[in-house]
Amino acid sequence: MQQTINLHDRDELIAPLYQFDRKFWTTLVVLIVIIAPGMLLYARQLVLGLGVTDLNRPVFWGAYLVNFIFLIGIAMAGTVISAVLQLLKVNWRRPITRIAESLTVFGLMTAGLQIIMDMGRPDRLVFTLLYGRLQAPLLWDIASLTLYLLTAIFALYLQLIPDIALLRDTSPASAPLWRKKLYSILSLGWTGAKEQWRRLEKAITVVSVFIIPIGISLHTVTSWLFSTTVQPGWKSTILGPYFVVGAIFSGIGLLFIATTFARQYNKHLKEYITESFYTNLGWIFIVMSAVWFYFTLNETLVVVTEQETLEFPVMASKLFGEFAPAFWGMIILMIAATWILVAPKFVSDKPTRNPLFQTATGLVATAISIVIFFLLWLRLPALAAPAIQSILIFAFIVLFIFALLGVTKWMKTRIITSTVIASAFVLFGMWLERWNILLPTLTHARLIPYTTYNPTITEIAVTISTFGILTLMFVVFYKFFPSISIWEVEEGRALEADSTH
Amino acid sequence: MNFPLEQPLFQFFHWLINTPGVGAAVVGLLVGVAVTSFVLTLRWIASAKSGEQESYPYPPRH
Repeated sequence: MQQTINLHDRDELIAPLYQFDRKFWTTLVVLIVIIAPGMLLYARQLVLGLGVTDLNRPVFWGAYLVNFIFLIGIAMAGTVISAVLQLLKVNWRRPITRIAESLTVFGLMTAGLQIIMDMGRPDRLVFTLLYGRLQAPLLWDIASLTLYLLTAIFALYLQLIPDIALLRDTSPASAPLWRKKLYSILSLGWTGAKEQWRRLEKAITVVSVFIIPIGISLHTVTSWLFSTTVQPGWKSTILGPYFVVGAIFSGIGLLFIATTFARQYNKHLKEYITESFYTNLGWIFIVMSAVWFYFTLNETLVVVTEQETLEFPVMASKLFGEFAPAFWGMIILMIAATWILVAPKFVSDKPTRNPLFQTATGLVATAISIVIFFLLWLRLPALAAPAIQSILIFAFIVLFIFALLGVTKWMKTRIITSTVIASAFVLFGMWLERWNILLPTLTHARLIPYTTYNPTITEIAVTISTFGILTLMFVVFYKFFPSISIWEVEEGRALEADSTH
Repeated sequence: MNFPLEQPLFQFFHWLINTPGVGAAVVGLLVGVAVTSFVLTLRWIASAKSGEQESYPYPPRH
């Protein structure tokens, strides 16, 4: 017997998969234009060697490794969030589970690319296995990443099987033969029989249980990898949980951006991914933000109070030195993101004449505070006097507060836009956080002279390319598979209908 | 107290973590076990035989 599907869902979710319209091709071309320069410069790096980057002893990890940690972070969150919500039987998870799980798979794939790029010679990857010893932390990372990637692909595939069977049974006559064959093979002869559903549900539950510790292991193993190098700034016992919290925080941010991108790309999805998802996941986002601030304070406070000879210069470079713009930039972005998420929940809908809560005030204050931030960053000799510096910092803080107050009312009425803005701030802030963990230590390494690191055009272009590749995978994948788990949504509707009767 | 490496068990552990290639074998073992269990799970789902001809678009509730 053939699968049945709500006709409305078929029109909204399956029909667009066969429409290769102008929007799709334009997106593809734009992404290729974004990816191409980085790939060309990477090809140049393959020919000329790592000398085209600023990687050298002791800074042997630079922008590529920052990208790696950032990407495994967002990857960790996707499936773990989906698995936790699945096990807790949270109903609003249904429209977003597939996007979350696919982000994990694509995030891990692009993260793996960073390791290959950082090695300089890709053929050296084989050596890590041929000569890898169990005591090597890099090997633990490879084991964890491989296992997580395989499990994430499996989790995504398990959840896709009933929808692939739908695609097999409902594909239009004009659909290419290879596509029909692909769906037929991938559906594994799924008929939707009771026993098949029982087994599938059991498998999904078991995988959900296993994937949570595997995901957590991936990020904590990376933090152990740092700790075992016995470098200042990387020996904190809190580094593992700090990495995990940051990962979930940035992962939720990317999930918000990806779902909003999907909603904009296919307008029909607005009916499935509603504001309630933004509100509900927004609460978890706020909690993660609070925990992240607590850990950051902990990391900073302990080092500052102990003033240990090796640790303190690393922290000082973040607080007042060459990494201060990245550190304070991260803090400002996170404060702004948290405000954007929290403040609208405490203001009323009524219009106000108070100039502090006018959007214009907020925008003007934002513009001026950005100018002041860059003036402080550039450290112009004319503004180097301590009194002028103090005035600039004070003016920045006041204007920053005005900026936050000014945009509050505007955000109140635009929950999706404001969540996306907060997510973008969090993502950029978390990338800077990874930068602030890695580079201050490597440039202030133990027992050798301090050095500097400035990413070259190759590293910058490859970084941009990486995020282009991530987006490209997302766009292409969702041209072949529905971005919403159709059977889960239908099940949710049925459960809702049952509970109302 | 004797130095732990005088004991065969610790000598084995020392060999285990210090021998090049053993790490790869462990990664291979992990990957092998994972892939095998995934394939067997998929086979188990695909092989579900049901007497009834009923087809459900989502998991049936009892």
